[in-house]
Amino acid sequence: MNTKLKRSYKIAPVLLCISLLFISGCWGKREVENLAPLIGIGFDLGEKPGTYLVTQQYARPKKGGSSGAEILQRTLGAEASSVREAFETVSKGAYRTPFMGSLKVIVIGEDFAKAGGFNDVLDFAQRFAEFRRSMYLVLARGRAEDILNLKLRSEHLSAIYINYIIEGGNELSTFPTVRLGHYLTVLGRQSTAPILPVVKSIKPGEGINYKAEKSGEAEELQIQGAGVLRGDRLVDFLNDDETKGYMWLENEVFNRFINTVDLEETTVKFSGQVLKSKTKYKLHTNNESKELYYQIKTSIAIDEIIGLNKQLSGTEWVKLAKEAEESFAKVIEKECEGAIKKQRELGQDFLGIGRHIEQRDPQYWKTIKDQWEEEIANFPVSLDVKVTVHHTGMSSSSATNSGGEGQD
Amino acid sequence: MERISVHQFITLGAAVLMGTTFLPVASIVTGVGGRDGWMSVLPGFALGIPYSLMILSLLEQYPSNNLLQISETLFGKLIGKLIGSFYILVAGYLGGLLLGQVGDIYQASIMPLTPLGVFYLGGIILVLLLIQSGIEVFARFSEVIFPLIVIALFLNIVLSIPRIEQGELLPILSEGFKPILVGAFKVMPFPLTYIIFLAGVIAFLPTGEKELKQLKSGVWRVVFMVGILDMLIVIIQILVFGPTETVRLVYGLLVLGKMVEISRTIAGVESVFLGVWFGAAVLKIGSLFFATNWGLEYVFGLKGIKWRLSLCVVFLGIAFRYVRGPSLILEIGLVDEYLIMPFVAIWIPALWGVAHWKKGVGIGRKETRSGGKG
Repeated sequence: MNTKLKRSYKIAPVLLCISLLFISGCWGKREVENLAPLIGIGFDLGEKPGTYLVTQQYARPKKGGSSGAEILQRTLGAEASSVREAFETVSKGAYRTPFMGSLKVIVIGEDFAKAGGFNDVLDFAQRFAEFRRSMYLVLARGRAEDILNLKLRSEHLSAIYINYIIEGGNELSTFPTVRLGHYLTVLGRQSTAPILPVVKSIKPGEGINYKAEKSGEAEELQIQGAGVLRGDRLVDFLNDDETKGYMWLENEVFNRFINTVDLEETTVKFSGQVLKSKTKYKLHTNNESKELYYQIKTSIAIDEIIGLNKQLSGTEWVKLAKEAEESFAKVIEKECEGAIKKQRELGQDFLGIGRHIEQRDPQYWKTIKDQWEEEIANFPVSLDVKVTVHHTGMSSSSATNSGGEGQD
Repeated sequence: MERISVHQFITLGAAVLMGTTFLPVASIVTGVGGRDGWMSVLPGFALGIPYSLMILSLLEQYPSNNLLQISETLFGKLIGKLIGSFYILVAGYLGGLLLGQVGDIYQASIMPLTPLGVFYLGGIILVLLLIQSGIEVFARFSEVIFPLIVIALFLNIVLSIPRIEQGELLPILSEGFKPILVGAFKVMPFPLTYIIFLAGVIAFLPTGEKELKQLKSGVWRVVFMVGILDMLIVIIQILVFGPTETVRLVYGLLVLGKMVEISRTIAGVESVFLGVWFGAAVLKIGSLFFATNWGLEYVFGLKGIKWRLSLCVVFLGIAFRYVRGPSLILEIGLVDEYLIMPFVAIWIPALWGVAHWKKGVGIGRKETRSGGKG
């Protein structure tokens, strides 16, 4: 070994020891107990023009809780012209440093969304490195502040509860799941109008019955429907059926409960669970005009039959299952048509039809993209829904009373 | 004289060629080629093959010489020294800028409060230790680090699959081939930066007939391996972010790392990716440090630790000059595109052409002499 090499072997440990001083922990080190994990954040219009109310929901571990996972909420708000300013205001009264990496949900208040401009507040969330693009975005019916301050009967933090509902959303497939990253990607498509799920507080009797601790106050949350945006301004809400139609057309249905109770033309009603679903689309050319053709193939298991008052033979049972398939297909068609009708009324392409055209026929898309907003209302769209009933549960015919008792 | 094996040449070459290209490549090619940007990556990297083969052919003719020595032999001392001086300038300048990028990335992503100097010092100390240990140790370091870089990148790609948006790669070729060619042009500085290092490292390569064959096939493997990996990185970013966001994000791969979640329990693994990336940055900066050092040694005869320490100071000076992230990224792009690319694009073919012409003339004279004698 030459002397130079020997010398460098002596110097190396010294340099390495010195470099220990430069380990990141010496700067910006933050002990976990000094951090305030931010779970939810809400945006509403501020009272002063040009300001917004930023509501921050932090998790606080419960002292003496039976498990380490028990947390209390600490929800604080501040009116400011920028999100950073709001954090600064809140931090002045808090002894722990906000940690954004734990953020689960951003709630956008209705008035703020209608006023537009929330891309400006989202800029902080997509720029500051602590945030993750995997957080969820939701629109609030009413004020975001009220949603986050809600004292839920389940004792969950509102933001965590919203997060749970969204993450369990695949089993329902009745509202879109929108992460910050997805929202930004859709914004980049230009022709597609972004869509956000809607969260609202539920008072007793407003769809769900329960006994509230304080009468007249909401203590439950629900995600239902969606809001359609033009850029970053809310233009309208989709009702539950229209949102479900969006979910079918966007191939976002994984599992879902579905029923035919509202179908007037049938006496026997069915409820079932979607086992799997696939939506494909094609661009058809008819006499030089184009048409977007959706094909939805769904497998359903029947869970419930209502109005079946007699025992059926094997062949009758097969016939009934086929009737069920037709009934389910009609319900799906109705939901999809509702979404398409709404898209035409609004002139906003939340279904991403323009993007589908671009994917299938980019040359044709180039000819219509500049006047796409005017084209949306009249662009032909057709549907083909095929439902297969895989099984009818654990029994064939429903239970009926013996000979004539209580039956028609 | 130190020698590195064919295997070491391949891993070191791949590590240097890849360097930190996986960070800006998606934004660069998508900015030009949109959704089809990923198709530009392989053609752009492929340029490295003819250039590398030209260099290996020069190695065959002038064993154990680097291109600076060969330039002096073929072009004469003055032009050779001018080329050497430019070589030192571009390699040293880019090395300093990349050292600055280490600070920019770490401060922007996971260590916002740590002073930039800490990253610079940490990086340059490690580079200096490797340089002092010699090219063989540097090659062995790459043999350890490069597989980790590849594994980390693959994990980042695979774990990002759940975040893929539907149909973001479609339509394919809607704008024709022109944007792809322009995109390939933007990628070309990457292999040409690798050529800067190759120009010096050839002096340490084996020159046996069998080894030369292996080196030539190794070059193909290096270029395709790195090209395909970078292409996959571009594809996953377009699939997850869409083209508009891919262009907008400064370090898209780090954002992908932040989005990785495993069973809703493990998240925030970007720090692991960044740790591995640090190894890649050290290899790249080290390669440019080596290149600058060889230049000083062969062009000006400046050898020894004091010149290496001076070089460290220069690297640090350049890094500290660009503490503003956007200016730094712009400067790296400008150096790649307007200094390194034209310099290497002209220097290597010219050198190779002259060498072959002289070889041809030499053979012709020999034949004439032997013919006369006969």
